[in-house]
Amino acid sequence: MTFSAEKATMIEFKDVHKYYGDYHALRGITATIKAGEFFSLLGPSGCGKTTLLRTIAGFEGISSGAVMIDGKNMAGVPANKRPTNMVFQSYAIFPHLTVEQNVGFGLRKDPRPQAEKDKAVAEALEMVNLKGFGKRAAHALSGGQRQRVALARALILKPKVLLLDEPLSALDKKMREQMQMELIKLQRQVGITFILVTHDQEEALVMSDRIAVMFDGEIAQLADPETLYRKPASRRVADFIGTMNFLPAQIKSEAGGKVEIEAHGFGQLTLDADQVSGANAEGASIGFRPETLTILFDGQTAADRESMGTVEEVVYYGDMTYYDVRLDGTDAPMRLSMRNIPGRPVLDIKERARVAWSPSAMVLFR
Amino acid sequence: MPQSTRWGRFRESEAASGLAMISPTAIYATLLLAAPLVTIFLYSFWTDGYLTIIREFTLDNYITAWSNPAFRAVMLRSLFVSLAVTATTVILAFPVAYFVSFFVEPSKKSLWLFLITIPFWTSYLIRIFLWKVILGYNGVINSSLLSMGIISEPIQSINYSVGAVITALAHAYAPFAILPIFVALEKIDRSLLEAGRDLGESPVMTFIRVTLPLSMAGVISSVLIVFIPTIGDYVTPLLLGGPEGRMVANLIDLNFKKLDNYPMGSAIAISAMAIVVAISLLFLFVNRRFLKGAK
Repeated sequence: MTFSAEKATMIEFKDVHKYYGDYHALRGITATIKAGEFFSLLGPSGCGKTTLLRTIAGFEGISSGAVMIDGKNMAGVPANKRPTNMVFQSYAIFPHLTVEQNVGFGLRKDPRPQAEKDKAVAEALEMVNLKGFGKRAAHALSGGQRQRVALARALILKPKVLLLDEPLSALDKKMREQMQMELIKLQRQVGITFILVTHDQEEALVMSDRIAVMFDGEIAQLADPETLYRKPASRRVADFIGTMNFLPAQIKSEAGGKVEIEAHGFGQLTLDADQVSGANAEGASIGFRPETLTILFDGQTAADRESMGTVEEVVYYGDMTYYDVRLDGTDAPMRLSMRNIPGRPVLDIKERARVAWSPSAMVLFR
Repeated sequence: MPQSTRWGRFRESEAASGLAMISPTAIYATLLLAAPLVTIFLYSFWTDGYLTIIREFTLDNYITAWSNPAFRAVMLRSLFVSLAVTATTVILAFPVAYFVSFFVEPSKKSLWLFLITIPFWTSYLIRIFLWKVILGYNGVINSSLLSMGIISEPIQSINYSVGAVITALAHAYAPFAILPIFVALEKIDRSLLEAGRDLGESPVMTFIRVTLPLSMAGVISSVLIVFIPTIGDYVTPLLLGGPEGRMVANLIDLNFKKLDNYPMGSAIAISAMAIVVAISLLFLFVNRRFLKGAK
């Protein structure tokens, strides 16, 4: 999904720093989140993503910089006065209240008559598919239902921004995938800016319009899912998002928008300048995703290049098979993925394989 | 090998091992709590026959006690004292428990709880005598106020009064009130308080709408833990109460010892117990919504 320039800015981080004593938790975050966007903060635990989310909610002060929401500096604005609502990781459903009391919790100061508030609560419950659950005790709900109550309770207040702190991490895989779809639909329906914190890269790719990948209190890359996947800004990002094969390479020359490299086992290659990506602490290397390599079966020919290799590991996933293949002349096996089409054999360990590849699918980290 | 007799099967059963495990406590409780209670209960329906006890069922003791204005006054005073002690203790205990739970860093919480229990290192009697030193005619308060010229002669009413009894009892029961409230506050998921703020409520309203209802189970325990023993307290009113501060336990004592009227003493004891049970049950009933359901 692309965003035109006319989309208004909803949240702006201006060089946000956060210290806990000596610990530098946020190291100069500068980013903007647009109105109506489904935005994810993705990173390993301890990277500062939850801290950053909590600076938006107002639960966490910042040491320097500014957090702007809808053009207003939030410095000194307490959590209860911010136009944001949060779905907590633990859901934070009030155990002493019923489902509808939970959902209606934030409506106390709403000037509408009680009958209208009750109607709003019923509508919010219907929106999250919990129609008829209003009178239930909150503690009698399942994990998925609690999450829906937390969503309804936040959305009923029509916040400018909905903050979601790892909301799906406590659910089992099936339920999580279902909720991912529901959240996407819900976000399109209400049009509110959603900001999701997650450590699950797949979840971020599936749900987000844009993703900020964070490491060690910094944003390593902020991009849409496809850019993040196709053109990671650094080897660390590439490693965090999905699977990528890396091979050491030497840069021979750079001229006229072309880069000449030599990669072990692949020989001399010419890459476009826009295939060159960010820093790699371990020296220059080329990287490519498993699906850019293809095993050729009888009669098939490579569209670009072709090498011989030996299968070292086979992982069968049902719809896909993952192979670790070591190409002749290389030091390490490379992972590649093949769709399992009926009639196509699954290779065995130690079998020889013809592998098709293309320099144009590679990323060069320097 | 399973045994086929009924007794053999019973010996193999879980019920048997359970009974065996609780039997020391059960025997102890039966002999030292249930048996004396049953005895007192029986005595309350008998009559004192000067040198013997006339073992015939009668309600005379109860009728005499309840129609006696002195008994009613003492009973009402006991109720007033224990309610005042309960209110004072719980209202003062809540901020302490709240402070320890919310503002003391986790590694120091046990130290704080330990410090709170320090008054218990001294015997209860010594603590009461210390209160006499503080509240007495020539005590700390009176002599300081005198030396500062705020009063010209010692205040009599702070010693040997209902107020002195309430003060000493509230101090004595403070830890009992603090601990249950502390435990209840500790169990509150802190994200619930953030949720309260997030949903637009100020810190004060979040306290009223979230913290307080979720800590009510602890408050209710504190109320009962303080109320039930204080209404029957014997030593404090005896030493600090003076003639106007006597409570029901002192009256029971009087009947058993000086007046040697066991049946009357028993009837007063059973009456006092019935009142405590009735008030406690009523209190639990009024607050029942705070006690059910929480997981």
